[in-house]
Amino acid sequence: MDQGVAFIAVAITIVVPAIASAIAQGWTASTAMQGMARQPEAASNIRSSLLLSLAMIEALTLFALVIALLLWSKL
Amino acid sequence: MFGAEKIQELANVISHLTRQPMFQIGPVVVTSTVVNTWIIMLVLFIAVFFLTRRFQKQPRGVQTFLEIALEFINSLIDDGMGRTGRVYLPLVGSLFIMILVFNLSWFIPGMVPPTTDIMTTAALGVTSIIMIQAAAIQKKGIREYLHHFCTPMPLLLPMNIVEELVKPFSLAIRLFGNMFGEKLITNILFILVPVLVPTPVMLLGVLMGAIQAYIFSMLMITYLAEATHD
Repeated sequence: MDQGVAFIAVAITIVVPAIASAIAQGWTASTAMQGMARQPEAASNIRSSLLLSLAMIEALTLFALVIALLLWSKL
Repeated sequence: MFGAEKIQELANVISHLTRQPMFQIGPVVVTSTVVNTWIIMLVLFIAVFFLTRRFQKQPRGVQTFLEIALEFINSLIDDGMGRTGRVYLPLVGSLFIMILVFNLSWFIPGMVPPTTDIMTTAALGVTSIIMIQAAAIQKKGIREYLHHFCTPMPLLLPMNIVEELVKPFSLAIRLFGNMFGEKLITNILFILVPVLVPTPVMLLGVLMGAIQAYIFSMLMITYLAEATHD
């Protein structure tokens, strides 16, 4: 098999989830910041659930990272 | 643009981060990750032992710092589970401090943080999930515990079991992926431009290590609250 194509496949494996999770994280963070600006007294509650949901979104990208690393080590 | 030896170095960058076998005891191969973990454990144990002698009513010096750390973990638990959740303070607190020190051990020269090895994070994830199941059984009794797998209806039994099995996996991959990715990117930058460019990324690593420790204990508290609620 052509090695260059395999490298591109590995790159796509990590790039597509990274784009998706960047969009999702940006959306989450902007909404949380709007919430914090409207109700500063609820800021600490919002901050902890914001971090939790960012971690949850990021986990999917990290699964993709692990799969990409596995594919890379197989090359 | 870059010389051939730099390309070669880039191709081998992962070998700096993976565990190397150090020595062998019987059939068990002791890797560099385990040795690093032992070193950190020893340092932590000695530090905690000497810092927690001679407590005074009026906190002074190091004792104030320890009290701030305790208050922080207590407030995390209070937010997640209410005051009754403080029985789980030893579990959550020691995990938090251990992961924080693991992540920040990056800044000891020559040390590869144990959390960049998936075996360490897998062990942490599996241990914490077993502890959570044990806490649920202790709180609810074995009948209630088994019954909770059949809610809201018995048809969903496989889904409930899969949900429990995915938890340690996601905990382990999250910690590993973040720390490994951070370290990998810093190493690649260091090979390309050795001066000044990796420094901001390393500073981000301090923040990332603290946030990952926070998130691990936060998720642990969330899972505990979910498992032990009535």
